Amino acid sequence: MTTETRAATSAQPSRLLSALRTQEGVLFLVLVVIVIVLSLLSDRFLTVNNLLNQTRLFTETALLALPMTLIIISGGIDLSVGSMLAWSAVMLGFSWQLLGLPLPLAVVVCLLTGAIGGAINGALIAYVRVPPLIATLATLAIYRGFSFGISQARSARGFPEEFAFWGQGQVGPFPTQFLILVVLIVAMHLLLARTGFGRWVYAIGNNELAARYSGIPVERVKFTLYTLSGLMAGLAAFIFTSRVTTTRADAATGLELDVIAAVVLGGTSIFGGSGSIIGTMLGLVIITLLRNGLLLTGVKGDATFMVIGLVLIAAVLINNLVRRR
Amino acid sequence: MKLTSLNRSLALLVFASVVAAACAAPPPAAQQPAQQPAQQQEAAQQPAEQLPPGWKAGIPKNPPDRKGKKLVIRDVPKLIGIGYFAATTKGMEEAARELGNIDFKTDAPTEAKIEKQIEFIDNFITQGVDVILFAANDPVAIAPVLKKALDQGIIVVGYDADAQEDARQFFVNQATFEAIGQALIEDMVSQVGPDAEVAIVTSSLTAPNQNRWIEEMKKYAAAKYPNLKFVVTLPSEEDQQLAFKATQDIMKTYPNVKGVFGLSSVAFPGAADAVKQAGKCGQIAVVGLSTPNQMRPFVKEGCVKSVILWNPIDLGYAAVYAARAIADGELKPGATSLKAGRLGELKVNGSEILLGPPFIFNKDNIDNFDF
Amino acid sequence: MATSTTRWATPARRSGVTLQQEGVIAAAILGLTVVVSLANPDFFNTTNLLDIVVNTAYIAVAAAGMTMVIVSGNIDISVGSMLGVCATIAGELARNGAPVPLAFAVAVLAGSVMGAVNGILVAYARIPAIVVTLGMLSILRGGLILVTQGRWIESLPEAFFFSQRSTLGIPNPVWVMLIVVGLVWLFMKYHRWGRAIYAVGGNAEAARLAGINPQHVQFFVFVVNGVLVGLAAVLYASRFTAIQSNAGQGFELAVISGTVVGGVSILGGTGSVIGALLGSLLISQIGTAAIFLKVSPFWLQAVQGGLILLTVLIDVLRRRRFA
Repeated sequence: MTTETRAATSAQPSRLLSALRTQEGVLFLVLVVIVIVLSLLSDRFLTVNNLLNQTRLFTETALLALPMTLIIISGGIDLSVGSMLAWSAVMLGFSWQLLGLPLPLAVVVCLLTGAIGGAINGALIAYVRVPPLIATLATLAIYRGFSFGISQARSARGFPEEFAFWGQGQVGPFPTQFLILVVLIVAMHLLLARTGFGRWVYAIGNNELAARYSGIPVERVKFTLYTLSGLMAGLAAFIFTSRVTTTRADAATGLELDVIAAVVLGGTSIFGGSGSIIGTMLGLVIITLLRNGLLLTGVKGDATFMVIGLVLIAAVLINNLVRRR
Repeated sequence: MKLTSLNRSLALLVFASVVAAACAAPPPAAQQPAQQPAQQQEAAQQPAEQLPPGWKAGIPKNPPDRKGKKLVIRDVPKLIGIGYFAATTKGMEEAARELGNIDFKTDAPTEAKIEKQIEFIDNFITQGVDVILFAANDPVAIAPVLKKALDQGIIVVGYDADAQEDARQFFVNQATFEAIGQALIEDMVSQVGPDAEVAIVTSSLTAPNQNRWIEEMKKYAAAKYPNLKFVVTLPSEEDQQLAFKATQDIMKTYPNVKGVFGLSSVAFPGAADAVKQAGKCGQIAVVGLSTPNQMRPFVKEGCVKSVILWNPIDLGYAAVYAARAIADGELKPGATSLKAGRLGELKVNGSEILLGPPFIFNKDNIDNFDF
Repeated sequence: MATSTTRWATPARRSGVTLQQEGVIAAAILGLTVVVSLANPDFFNTTNLLDIVVNTAYIAVAAAGMTMVIVSGNIDISVGSMLGVCATIAGELARNGAPVPLAFAVAVLAGSVMGAVNGILVAYARIPAIVVTLGMLSILRGGLILVTQGRWIESLPEAFFFSQRSTLGIPNPVWVMLIVVGLVWLFMKYHRWGRAIYAVGGNAEAARLAGINPQHVQFFVFVVNGVLVGLAAVLYASRFTAIQSNAGQGFELAVISGTVVGGVSILGGTGSVIGALLGSLLISQIGTAAIFLKVSPFWLQAVQGGLILLTVLIDVLRRRRFA
C-alpha cells in the first residue's frame, strides 16, 4: 500500500517534468511567462474582452496555419496561401457583385476557388513532381495576378449587414469565427494525431521513399494536403471578407511568412517528420499576444517587431537547451 | 488497415461537414446576435436634434466630457518608415507641444497593409485612448474597426486618406482630388504641350488615393486636352527600384512618350532617376507628387521642373488641432471653420476640413522646406 | 584526408547534370528574347538587354550567396532586411564625410557580422535556419525603422554613385556581378571548402565521417552570404540618387526565386551559382518582357508567374524523361 502510493507520487512529478520537456511544454512555459509579464505591465491585457477580441484578429492566420502544419510535417511547404486567400476573396466579391450570384452561392464559389488553387498546387507537386517551394512560389505570383486581373484592382463592397455575422458577430460571448476555428483545430488535431492519415503524413515527412515502399499512397496524401490548404484559404477569405466588409486584390500579402513563423515556432521541423497542431497554435498565440500586449504597454510597432524576432529565436534556443539535457 | 482508412474518412467527413455547415448555410438574419438591434436603438436615442441636415459622418457614442482635459491621441498612418508620414507625425508633435496637455504617439505597421493597420487601431481601442487619427489603407476595410472606436466614445479623425464617411467624424483633406488632378495635368501640359503621349507610375494598383487622382486627371484631360494620350499605368509598390525599372521599361516600350507622372513619394523620385540616368532630362518630363527632400537633387539639376504637394507637416498639425477642438466641443457637426494655430482659420465643408490648394515646389522655393 | 594537402581538386562529377539544368534556363532566356523581339523589335537592343542585366546585378550577387546557403541545406530569409541595414550604413557614413571606399567596406563588414550571427545560431546553437533568419528579418527591419524613422538618405557625394558608372564601357554592377559569380563558381567547384558545402548539404553525417566539420562549413557559408549581401547593398545603394531607408522589403523572395528557378535544390546538395545567375536574369527578363508585350498591368503578375512555372515544368519534364 505504502510503496504503491510512494511510487505514484514520485511518478507524478517526473511525468509532469517530461511533459514540460516536450516542445509544447517549453512553449507553454514561455507563454505563461509572457502572459505574466505583460499583465503586470498593462491592466488592460489580461481581460476576457481583450483576449476574445484577439481571436478575431488571428483566425485567418490560424486557419492557414492548420494545413500548413500538416504540409510542413509531410516535408513540403505552401507559399501561395496569402495569394489563394486574396484570389478566393476576389472571386467572392466578383461573383456576388458583378455576376449577381446570391451571397451564399458566392461563398461557395469562394471556397471552391481556394480548393481549386490548392488542387493545382497539389497536382503540380504530387503528380508532376515540381518541388513544393518552386511550385508554390510560382503560384504565389500567379494567384496574386489572378486577383488583380479578375478584379482589375477594384474592390467589392456594400455587403449586407447580416453577412458581417461571420467575421464581426458573436455567438454568446464568443466571436463567430473563433468557434469555427476551435472546431477545426480539434478536427485537424484528431486527423493528425489519431488517424491513419495523420500517421501517413508523418511517415512521408520522415522518409518518403520508405513510405512509398510500405504502400502509403504518397501522391494522394500530398494532393489532399495541398487541396485542404487551398480550401482553408477559401474559408479564411470568406471570414476575412466578412470582417473587413470588402474584397481587395492585395489582401493578405506576405501572410505566408506569419503563418510559417507560427508553425516553426510551434516546433514543427521544417525538414518534415515532426510537429503538432497544439504546438502551432501555441506558437501563434505567443506571437499574437506579444504583439497585442506590447502595444498595450506602449511599446512601438518597430520595437515590437524586434521583440517578436528575438522571442522566435530564443524560444527555439531554450527548447534546444532543455531537450539536449 | 481497414480501421485506419475508416478513421481517415470519418475525420475527413467531420471536417467537410463542419466546413459545409459553417459556410454553405446562408447567414440568416435570425442568427444575428441579440444586441445588434439594441445597439441600433441606442444610436437612435442619440441627440439627433444637434445634427445638421445631411450630416452623414459618424459621432462617438456617449463620449465623456473631455473639455480642457488631457487627451491621449494615437495616430495610425498607412505605415511608418517613410518620409511622408514622418512629416505628418512631425506636424502632429508640433501641435501637441503647442496645445500642451496631450499625450501623443504615432504607431502603425511597417508596410501599408490594411490587416495590420486594423490590428493597431483595435489595440488602441482596448488601450482606451481618447482620439484615434488615421490615414486609411482602405476606406471600406477600415470602417468596421473605426465604427467600433466611435461606439466606445473615441474621437475619430482622418487625414490624408479617408474612410467611409460614417466611420469617422471629420477628415482633414489636404487638397481635393480634382485640384490635384488638374494641377498635375496643367504642369505636364505646360512642359510637353497638349498633344503628347504620357504614362503613369503609380504606387499600387489598389491604392485608393492614387486611383482617384488618376480618374480626375483623365477626366480633366479628356475635357480640356483631348489629345493628351495616356499609354500605360504601371505599379511600383512603394519601392524605388520598381519605380525605376517601370519608368525604364516605359521609355523603351513606348518611345513616343514625352512625359511620366510619378504618383507617390517613392514613384516620383524613382521615375526621375530613370529619366536622368537614361540621359533624357529635358526630353522626357517627369511630373508628380512627392516630398521636397526626396526631389531636391532632381529639381536643382533641372531634371524635374516642379513638385506638387500639400505640406504634410501642416496636414498633421491641423489633424491634432481638429481633435482638440472636437474634444473641447468647439468643432461640432455644422461648424464652418476651425481655428488651427499658426495655420489660422481653416474652412470646414460638411465633415471635411480643407487645408487649402496644393502647393508647388520649384527651384526657387524648395530650399525653404525640410520634410 | 589526401585532399587537405591539395586544396583545389578536380570538379565533382555531378556538374554534368547541373550544366544541363543551366542549359534549360539559358535556352529559356534565348527563346524569350527571340519571341519578344519578334513581337517588339525594340526589345532586342543593347541598351535594353544591358538594362536588364544591370537591374539584376544586385539580385544575382546576393543569389550567389544564397546558392551557397541553400546548397549547404539551409535558407536565409533575412537578406532583405540585411540589404536595408547595409545600404543605410553605407549611405550614412558617406553622407557624414567618410571616404566612399571606407563606407562601402564598412557596409560589407556589417553584412559579414550579421551573417556571422546567423551562422553561429544555425551552426553552433543548432536552431533551424528558417527560424533564425525569420527572427533576424524582424529584428533588423524593426531596428532599421527605429533608427531611420523613414528618412531617406540624400545629398550623397558624387563619388558614392559607383553603380551609375561604367568601366571599359560596361556598367560597374555588371563587372561586380561577373566577378562574384565567377569566383563563387570556381570556389564551389574546385576548392576543398566549396566542395565541402555540397557534401554537408547532401549528407551531413557522411560529410562528418569524411572528416568535414559540418558546423564550421555552415558558419562559413553564412558569413560569406553576409559579405555578398553587403556587396549587393553597395550596388543597390549607389544606384540611385537617394537611398530608400526601408529598402529591401521582399528582396528575399526575389533572391530565393532566382536561386531555385536556376535549379538549386532546396533540399541541399545540388545546384550551381551559374544556375542562380541565369534564374535571376530570367525572372527579371520576364518582368520586362511582359511590359514590352503590352500585357495589361493587372495581369502582369499572373503572366510573370505563369512563365516561371512554364520554365520549371519544362525542366522537370526533361529530367523525368532522362531519369
